[in-house]
Amino acid sequence: MEQQRLDAFQVIADPSRRQILFLLSKDSRTINSLAENFEMSRPAVSKHIKVLNNAGFISIEDIGRERHCVLKQDGFNQLHEWLAYYDNFWGSKLQKLGDLLKDRIEKK
Amino acid sequence: MAKIIKYDLFFPNPPEVVWEYLTDADLIALWLMKNNFKPILGYEFQVTTKPMPDIQFDGIFYCKVLAIEPLKSLSYSWHFGPGDGTLNTSVVDWTLTPLNNGTQLELIHRGFEGASFIDLFTGMSTGWPKQIQKLLLTINPETDGTAKA
Repeated sequence: MEQQRLDAFQVIADPSRRQILFLLSKDSRTINSLAENFEMSRPAVSKHIKVLNNAGFISIEDIGRERHCVLKQDGFNQLHEWLAYYDNFWGSKLQKLGDLLKDRIEKK
Repeated sequence: MAKIIKYDLFFPNPPEVVWEYLTDADLIALWLMKNNFKPILGYEFQVTTKPMPDIQFDGIFYCKVLAIEPLKSLSYSWHFGPGDGTLNTSVVDWTLTPLNNGTQLELIHRGFEGASFIDLFTGMSTGWPKQIQKLLLTINPETDGTAKA
């Protein structure tokens, strides 16, 4: 199946991917050493790593023959932007609702 | 999943009036956005605004009425995405309580999949891997238990 691009929320919705991020938050690791922490097959782990890489949560650096995974901030920033957006969003919408309701009383 | 966004407001209007503004599509459009809401359990509706490519949003909130108790509470799903068929999930809950000749209105926007730890990311420019560690543990306490390491 073609690897589809997931957004930040979908990426971290998966427990295995969260665990990969957790492991990488301690130190950068090779794909092989990450795979050792999971029951699933190495290709399955690779697939999760690819998802994390595509979404900007990690970067992969080739050092010699090994592929090293390192945490990257971009993916986390996207999550943060969404929440900031919604907080601001509801704040301004509710202000408007309050104004409408106030008008309604004054018109009586 | 933890509550993410919560507002508590008081309006000097009776619950009947506030309820109208939460459940009548034309009135909702006055303060929220264009929509085709109907106050029917299970009803699917859309709320539309302008697309925001910066945050990968196609401008459409895909919603469904999850619970409705007239004059008291209303809950709908609030899904959004980049427009390629993939959607983020979240839920919006409204609760009305009569209070001092007015209405206490509570809004909770919750259930952002996996996002309960976002606020921990603010100011993470230094030492942020440590914070990620902490919050991944918070949302998923079994993390270490499932690891063979």
